[in-house]
This record gives sequence, C-alpha cells and structure tokens, in this order.
Amino acid sequence: MNTHDTSNSTGPRKDSLFKKYENLTVLSIFVSFVVIVVALQLITTGGSRFPTFISPVNIFNILQQVAVPGIIAVGMTMVMISGGIDLSVGMLASLVSIVVALGISEWGLGVGPAILLGVVSAVILETMMGFIISRTRIEPFIITLGGMISFQGIALLLCNSREVVMKGELSFLTTNLIDGAKDPVTGLALRLPPYVLLFFAIALIGGLTLKFTKFGRRIYAVGTNQRAAFLSGIDVKTMRLAVYTIQGLLVGIGATLLLARINTGIITLGQNLEIDTIAMVVIGGTALSGGRGNIVGTLIGVLFLGSIANAMNMLRLPSEVQFLAKGLVVIIAVSAGDISSRISEFRALKRAQVDAQAAAADRMKGGGPAQGGAQTDMQKSSV
Amino acid sequence: MDEILRLSQISKTFPGVRALQDISFDLRRGEVHCLCGENGAGKSTLIKILSGAYQPDEGGRIFFNGAEVSLTPRTALEMGIHTIYQEHIVFDALDITENIFVGAEIARWGIPQRKQMREQTERVLRYLKSDLSPDMRMSDLTSGQQKIVEIAKALVFRSNVIILDEPTASFSSQEIETVLDIVKTLKEDGIGIIYISHHLDEVFEVGDRATVIRDGQKVSTYPIAGLSKSTLIKDMVGRDPSTFYKRERIARGEVALDVRNVTGNGVRDISFKLHRGEVLGIAGMVGSGRSELMELLFGAAPLVYGDILIDGRSVRHGSPKDAIRNKMCFITEDRQNTGLFLTKTIAENVAVANMVNTRDFLVRPADEFAVGETYRKLLTIKAPSARTRAVNLSGGNQQKVVLGKWFNTGGEIFIFDEPSHGVDVGSKQEIYKIMVDLLKEDKAILMVSSDMPEVISMSDRVLVFRRGEVAGELVGEKITEENILTLSIGGQKE
Repeated sequence: MNTHDTSNSTGPRKDSLFKKYENLTVLSIFVSFVVIVVALQLITTGGSRFPTFISPVNIFNILQQVAVPGIIAVGMTMVMISGGIDLSVGMLASLVSIVVALGISEWGLGVGPAILLGVVSAVILETMMGFIISRTRIEPFIITLGGMISFQGIALLLCNSREVVMKGELSFLTTNLIDGAKDPVTGLALRLPPYVLLFFAIALIGGLTLKFTKFGRRIYAVGTNQRAAFLSGIDVKTMRLAVYTIQGLLVGIGATLLLARINTGIITLGQNLEIDTIAMVVIGGTALSGGRGNIVGTLIGVLFLGSIANAMNMLRLPSEVQFLAKGLVVIIAVSAGDISSRISEFRALKRAQVDAQAAAADRMKGGGPAQGGAQTDMQKSSV
Repeated sequence: MDEILRLSQISKTFPGVRALQDISFDLRRGEVHCLCGENGAGKSTLIKILSGAYQPDEGGRIFFNGAEVSLTPRTALEMGIHTIYQEHIVFDALDITENIFVGAEIARWGIPQRKQMREQTERVLRYLKSDLSPDMRMSDLTSGQQKIVEIAKALVFRSNVIILDEPTASFSSQEIETVLDIVKTLKEDGIGIIYISHHLDEVFEVGDRATVIRDGQKVSTYPIAGLSKSTLIKDMVGRDPSTFYKRERIARGEVALDVRNVTGNGVRDISFKLHRGEVLGIAGMVGSGRSELMELLFGAAPLVYGDILIDGRSVRHGSPKDAIRNKMCFITEDRQNTGLFLTKTIAENVAVANMVNTRDFLVRPADEFAVGETYRKLLTIKAPSARTRAVNLSGGNQQKVVLGKWFNTGGEIFIFDEPSHGVDVGSKQEIYKIMVDLLKEDKAILMVSSDMPEVISMSDRVLVFRRGEVAGELVGEKITEENILTLSIGGQKE
C-alpha cells in the first residue's frame, strides 16, 4: 500500500520552523545580535580612533553594566516560563539597596548581617507575592504592580526620601580580579569585578536547573498547561510560589551588587530595572504566555540590550533617543519571530493546497484506493 | 393551518460525516414539540440549522408561516426564532436589563434609554411570574434564574418560536418546575416551542408531540397523549450489535477500587466495586455527573463524604499527586486542555506524570528520550521520533501519548474518560486493544463513555448515571442500548 500517503495523513503536520525548533528562535536572535554588533562596530569606529565597540576594554565594560540586570533576568526567565511576570523587581532592588545601606551606615549591623538582612527581606517580600499569586486567581501583573508601588513606599519611608551614602564598605565586591591587565590595543586598564563572574555562575546554575532538574521541568509544565500539570501530579501552587522566592533571592543579590557599584542607597537605583529585565527575557525568546524560553536566549537578550545601550552611550546619543531605540528593539525582536513563523505557516498552507489538489485529481482518476483499503482493514479487525 | 415552521428533506453533511439525512419536521403554534435522541443523534445539528448557524445541504427546504425562507442567524431572529442553548451565554458583570438588551439597546441620539428598557424587562419578568429584579447582576443569579433571563430575552423581542436545548440540565427540582411552568405559559400564548431534553419525565409533562432522531435520521413522530415511554425508547435505540467491537473477556480478579457513598462535586452517594481484569463502564447522559465523579476519585475535586479503598486500603486523595502515588491514572476527556502539554515533545509528555514517583532531583534528557522512544514504538505512535511535539500529532496519536504518560507511572487503576473521543476509527480499534491488554496485565479500568457501541462492546458491567446518582447497574446480557437509555433518561416504569 501507499505508505507515504498514510504517514502524511496521521503523521506530523507541517509546522512553522520556529515552532518546530525552539533553538531556531535563539539562533535567529543570536544572528541578529552579531549583525547589530558588527554594524555598531562600524558606526562607532568611523571618525574617532578609540575606544571602539569591539575592544577588550569595552567588552569588559558591557559585562559590568549588564551583570546586575542579567542576574535578575535569570529569575525573570523562570517566573515568565511558569506563566507569571514580576513588575516589582526594580523597586524591590531599590528597597534592598536602601536596607543594606542603612544597615551598614546607620544601624551599625556590620556588612555581613546587613547584606543578609537585605537579601532575606527580598526573599520574604517576593515569597509573599508568590503566595498570593499561587493561591488566588488574580493576575500576577496586578499583584506585582501592587508590590512595586508598596516597595517604593517602604523604601521611601525607611530613608525619609533621602539617599543613604556609604563609605565604600562594599568595595570588596567591585575589586578588580585582573588588576594590571591592559587592553593590548589601547593600553587602557581592564576591569573584571567578581560580580561579573557571579552573573555567569548564576546564569549557568539557572540554565542547568531549568534543563536538567525535575524542578525545572515542572516550571515548564506549569507554564504550558496548568490544568494538565495539576492532573499529572505536579504541585502547581508550590511551583508558582517557588519561582518568586528564587526571584527574591536574585533581586537581593543583584541589589547588593548595584549598591556596591554606586556606593549610595537611593530610590532611583532600581528604576526601570523591571522594564529592562522583561525586555531582555522577551528578546531572548521567552513567551509571555509561559512554557517557552531558556537561559541561553535570555543571556543573548541581556548582551543584546546591554550592547545597544553601551553603543548609544559611546555615540553620545541623548537618553531620550536611547529609550526610543530600546523600545523599538524589543518590538522588532518579538515581531520578527512572529512574522517569520507566519510566513512559514502561509507556505505550509500553500503546500497543503497543492497536495490536496493533487489528491483530488488522483481520486478522479483512481477512485481513492488507499481510503477504501483502510476501511476494509478496519472492518476485518472489528469482526 | 396553525403550522408555523416546517422543515422538509433537510440533510447536513460535514466532511466525512452525514450528520442529518432527509429530516422532515413541523411545529404548530402553541405546541411543545419534543426532540428525542441519544448523544450524537443529530439534535444539536438540527437546532443549529433552525437558528441559522448552519446552512442545510441543497434540496432541503424550510417554511416559515407557509413561505419558504432561508435562515441565517439574523433572519432567524427577525422571524422571531430564538434558540436558548444549553450553555448560558451571559455577561456576568452586567445586570438583567443590560443582558437582555445587549447589542440591541433602545437608544435615542445614541443615548441608551435605560428606563424604557428596564420597564420592558420588568413586564416580561412579571409575565413569567418571576420575582427577579431587572437590576440584579447576572453573576448573582443561579443557573436556573439565568435560564429565565434568557427566556425573558426571547420574549422581549417578540418570539414566534423558542428552541430550548436541555433547559434543565444540572438544575434543582425546584428550578425544573419553574422552567416547565414557564414553558406551559408560553405555549398557552401561542408560541411554538421545540423542546430538547434527556429527561423523559419532562417530555411527558410538557410535550404535545415527540419526534425521535437516530443517527441523523428521523425515526418517528408521535402525539404524547397515549404514548408509552418504552415506545419512545425503542425508537431511540436500534443499532445492529453485530457491528460492535468484539472484545476478549478476561477472568475477573480481586477488588482494586472500592468506592463507598462518595459524595461531592455534584454527585451523591456513589458506591461500587471495580475488580482487576474488568472494564466497568460508566454510562449516562452528558452532564449526569460521570466526569465529576472521576475528578473526585482522582483527587482533583474535594470529597465531601464517603470512602475510597484501593486494594482494601482506605485512601485520601488530597490532590492528583496522591492518586498517582496510589497507582491511579486518569485519561481525561479533553486531552488537549487537560491531558497534554501540546508544545512539549512526546518524551517530555511521557515523563511528566511519573515525576511524583521518583526521588531523583535531576532528570537526564537522554534517559527521558529513551523512555519516550520505548512508548512511541510500543504504542505505535506515528511520529518520526520522541522529540516530535505533541501539537503536531493527530488526535489518535495524541491520545496514545497520553496513554504513554500514564503507563510510564506504572499505574494499575485506569480511568478512561471518553477514550476514543475525537480519534479516527483506526486509532479507536488500537486503543480498545490496548485497553484489553491492560486487563490481561491484571489492571482495572473505569470507563466513562457517551458512545453507546463503545460502552456495550467494552464493558463487563455498566453503571448508569442520572442527575448525579447511580440509576442502576447492568451486567452481561442486560447491557443493551435500550436498558442503558431507559436508566439514563428515567424511562423505567415506576
């Protein structure tokens, strides 16, 4: 019998390349990332001699700039894969930085306990939001929006709406691990603080957790189909809660590092952090609807957005223009994936139409031997 | 002639299926004409043609007040043909008045005339002898009260014909009485009513005539006066049993599942024993509480009262997790929404439910893939590899992925809710064979099904549900279409 025919009717359907290969999304983002980097290199090199975009010193610069948003983006990736979102990370980071700064410079807690206090409060606050989100049907958007506003209030109350200046107690977090290393081209000093390595470590752990642990698998399952996950024995509430707890830990760490860099606890420290991290995660191919995405994509998204911001700084573009450019990047990155999958869907439809016409023509000639055969087979097995 | 509506030689073909064939039907003014038939007999399709949602095949003719018409949703409403579907179509956040006039507001210069609309609503509600206020919010009403609002809506817009599809499904007896009273009121005012119900009591209480449909064809039309329930049931059944799947019988083993007085989630006082090596069929009309019971047994809904014993040991299922640990499997009816992770691969789908049984923290994708491949081959899932995503599979193959997911848990008590729903005939036979193989391995199967041939050919025993309770049990020779139908629609002799 015509085996080709049967495999066509019951086997896999033609699908968009993007849906078929999730890695392709990441790959396409990576390719456009490389294209943009090369373009930026050409633009920034034109005219002035240095510093150019692709130079060791600037790459280390970018890494320092993206490390903190990158750490938080890892947590955001998990939250979004589980089907949630977290708008509160920016204000929570500000709050933590103020708590740690106050702890060190006013409450006399000492560096270690102050950091611990800051991180623990972030974990507790995120866990509380996660508790509400996992136990009710209220949108995570609303709960974390409320969280964002309340955290801002708490932070402003704590610092009396003023900034908390420190005396560099956290400078151990920003020490240069490669002191003395020089850029071979420009001769400028290279900086590699420990938190950049911490960012890569956290990204690695996050990526491995999502891919190789039961916990990670369950996050995907919950984000893909909550009801099916529940009926498959997954504790949906616990999973939805856990991603926020992890997010709290990462925001706590990120905020401490941010404080170490700026040396001042201030409400504007975490401003727009939620927008930047969500943008990074979305550029990295994670679906807002949950169930899809990975850390590799997020990593590229982080570097992507970070590079663009860096390049625009080098080009001395005003911050107003930078906002516009970042916004366009998000829109283009996300719609590019959708447009290309629509194109392949359209092609698949065309192909199906051609196939159907051919099949119809066959039937006119031969009276559909394949179908008739299948039916007699079935009757045989039923009797 | 007081004939208001006449259908002549109506057929409806869908790709591959003949849903209706040469149906002729008429409705008189002030008459309640009942439509009777099993699940899937073609009643819904006929209603959709009357409401204009479907167009009949060529050759079918529809007459309204003696004139030939063609029905679209719009023209049907203009002629005053209102269909009230089984599922409520309501706007929860709006009040009764707004629900009735939504999309057809009385307005002057674009400003809705609330007072006028409210008055009309009030008048119709009083006429229906209802004590509802036009200002009540829809979300505060019971489903019975919402049904009254839908009927009121039909009356506000001057109906000639009202089609009621299962108007009393899941209602309390008090609410049923109210709806039946309303139907009688409407009838006295000369409105023609087409009444579809699974409950013969209702048919005999309000009906004037009854038409029986079977497999898309009209069997008979009778005046209700002087008609016996058994005549009606005999017409509703009548498939040739020799065409059914012939199943191998296996010797019955120990009791695997013992359900005692289970109550909750809309079912009351259910008791039965399920043995290893048998299929216990759960029959009944849609909405009779069958799937609800399965959710209770599986821990997906809270148990209010009663005991569940597995292998003689009393168990409490707080969530599906506990049920899976107690070796239960639940193949749900709606596999796309409650069974599968569509965007995930076969291997990932197969692995997911067994996670509660393993203590490992890590998963090895290579092992997962190997297990996925094993089940792909074992269940002959038509896909190039276990890395194929579930969304790319046909219905039958998707169902096999769900089976793989549960086989992988090592479960022993299988709940199949509509096992062959939406799968092609070939896969159906394969699924039946897989079920028999399970029995040979001393597993037990609880099978909910609305597919009569499936219930009859696969079940060793059948429990028939009616309105959340067990209406009766059938064994061996007694498992016939007629007996099942009689129990499920309440047609037994008092």
